[in-house]
Amino acid sequence: MVLTTHFVALGLYALATVLVLAPFAGLRPAPRGLLLGVPIAGIAAHALGVMRLTPFMGVAPTLSMLALFLALFQVASEAAFRASAVGVFTGPLATGLIGLALLIGLVPEARPVAGRSPWSILHITISILGLAMLALAFIAAALYLLQFRELKAKRFGQVFRLFPPLERLDQLNHLSLVVGFPTVTLGVLLGFGVRYAGGVSVNAAQVVWGMLMWLVLGWAVGVRVVRHWAGRRAAFASIASFAAVLLVYLALKLTTPGTQRFL
Amino acid sequence: MSITVLGVNHRTAPLEVRERFAHAVGEVPQSLERVLAAGARGGVLLSTCNRTEFYLAEPDDAVPEAVWALLSERLGGAVGRSASEYGYIRRDRDAVRHLYRVSAGLDSMILGEPQIQGQVREAWDVSKPVAGPVLHRLFQSALLVGARVRSETGIATGAASAPSAAVAVAGKIFTQLAGRSALILGAGDIAELAATCLVAEGVRVTLVANRTYERAKAIAEELGARALPLDEAWDHFSDCDIVLSSTAAPHAVVTWDRVAPAIGRRGGRPLCILDLAVPRDVEPAVAQLENVFLYDLDDLQAVAAHAAAERRNDIPAAERIVTEEVERFWGWYGGLVVVPVLREFRERMEAVRAAELERTLRRLPHLSPEDRDQIEYFSQALLNKFLHQPTVALKEAARAGRGYGLLDALKRLFGLERRDGT
Repeated sequence: MVLTTHFVALGLYALATVLVLAPFAGLRPAPRGLLLGVPIAGIAAHALGVMRLTPFMGVAPTLSMLALFLALFQVASEAAFRASAVGVFTGPLATGLIGLALLIGLVPEARPVAGRSPWSILHITISILGLAMLALAFIAAALYLLQFRELKAKRFGQVFRLFPPLERLDQLNHLSLVVGFPTVTLGVLLGFGVRYAGGVSVNAAQVVWGMLMWLVLGWAVGVRVVRHWAGRRAAFASIASFAAVLLVYLALKLTTPGTQRFL
Repeated sequence: MSITVLGVNHRTAPLEVRERFAHAVGEVPQSLERVLAAGARGGVLLSTCNRTEFYLAEPDDAVPEAVWALLSERLGGAVGRSASEYGYIRRDRDAVRHLYRVSAGLDSMILGEPQIQGQVREAWDVSKPVAGPVLHRLFQSALLVGARVRSETGIATGAASAPSAAVAVAGKIFTQLAGRSALILGAGDIAELAATCLVAEGVRVTLVANRTYERAKAIAEELGARALPLDEAWDHFSDCDIVLSSTAAPHAVVTWDRVAPAIGRRGGRPLCILDLAVPRDVEPAVAQLENVFLYDLDDLQAVAAHAAAERRNDIPAAERIVTEEVERFWGWYGGLVVVPVLREFRERMEAVRAAELERTLRRLPHLSPEDRDQIEYFSQALLNKFLHQPTVALKEAARAGRGYGLLDALKRLFGLERRDGT
């Protein structure tokens, strides 16, 4: 069941990605109903699979959940912001992540010594949700910079035609950051709670680096909200902070390799 | 029976000629009345800045001359040529195809432009009292064809003119244009035209600045804005969203020194500057300022050309729809013409049969009533047999849109001209 729903979701996400990318290849844009309907069907199938994955043990279920949230944000971006171009990033990313999760194996290799507590599952879910929001902020910022460059350089090609207006991308970036950061913060707080309640052991390096990254993300949100940065500067800040998170994650994974745990 | 279009358009006549042919709405009935008096069953006059065309149902031979005479009068000897030298005539299917292509924007100066659809509708509305049933149907279908082509192909996508490109470019910077404020520099026609396009999108023109204050005031009143002298405009670069510049200055008037301080106070909000003047009004260095997006006429024409190139890819699909719809109309039209002519044909043959039967029976008085009935039945059956194949062939040809040629032959062969009321 878990594998079947994941394979169905994989196929639908791949189709949704093709639909989003088709206009960039000079094909007629797909109807909006299809742009929304196909990923929604994928999300429905995927959600069924993810619900059966709990407790989340290992990298694969976490990647699967991250893919689910990205697909969800792709639909939300199109529905609320008419930003189907977000799918240029989220589509391949969600498809790739779910594909990777299937490759790694959705059944954890190492069985947990003890089952996950509900708090632990909530911590993981909220943290991944926050991470997906920050990824959306990163994507909006990247799209912003691409469109900005095209407009400044007076190039009126596919990016100019198919990407949303700058201001809308800036709004999407702003919203993702200001919602994503508190979500990540909540996830971190729950993580502390879980750790000190004795749920899951976390080494000191992860705590230190995690806190540092939280501060970097806080800075990106702070310059937007407190110092009222907008546009290109805010986009750069958003991209820099998310890139820092990714780099630190990769560094930590290199020091503690394996697929048994996400962190 | 036939449908004919006579006219001139942007391909056949220069602007100075076309503007003389252009009819105001109030002039249309008078011109149509005059043309119809030369012998036509119905007419519609489509007159825009790019074309003046008379669509006529069943015109007599004298009608083209009447049309060219009417248009030549409007030239008034100004160009020393007759209107017919700029004109064209399309008949029957070609005339229908022509109108469908016009309505679809395939014959427009800017491929796929949407205004022509409204102009076709207006021409039909104004000419309705004298259009007649055939042209009524033709124009009704032309509007549907225009709508179908626009919805099923990409012929109307993108911004294919400079003013609409200005709107498209601004629309890629701001989430929505409605409620944005615009500052107009200069009071020329181009600025006014582009401002009208922006206003149509909901942009508020708040200020109009011009070297001549009185001229600025006149345009500002039209647009519901405030007028100010040009030199007082620079400070307002801090609070407007769009600047539209089209002064007649021989050098750049919007310079870095003049506007950089005001733009610095914008707090990073984007500013879209549309420079429609030739020579340019805005110093290129202004584009280096943070979050300033500067576009001149060449840039906007590049946007328009890009959209036009995209639209050109859809011409074959649009032409296919037009061809399909021409055949549909022609099928209807052929059927419309066939019914009365066939009725007339059968009546004529029946009259001949009845007359010959009566003459034959007069010569054979010895026949019994049963024999006379047999002979009458024979004549009836023979006539039906003779008429069956031509009737079927004509109806089939009409359904396939080829009825008109066969019908013409039938009318000539059996002397039906002028007896079917056509």
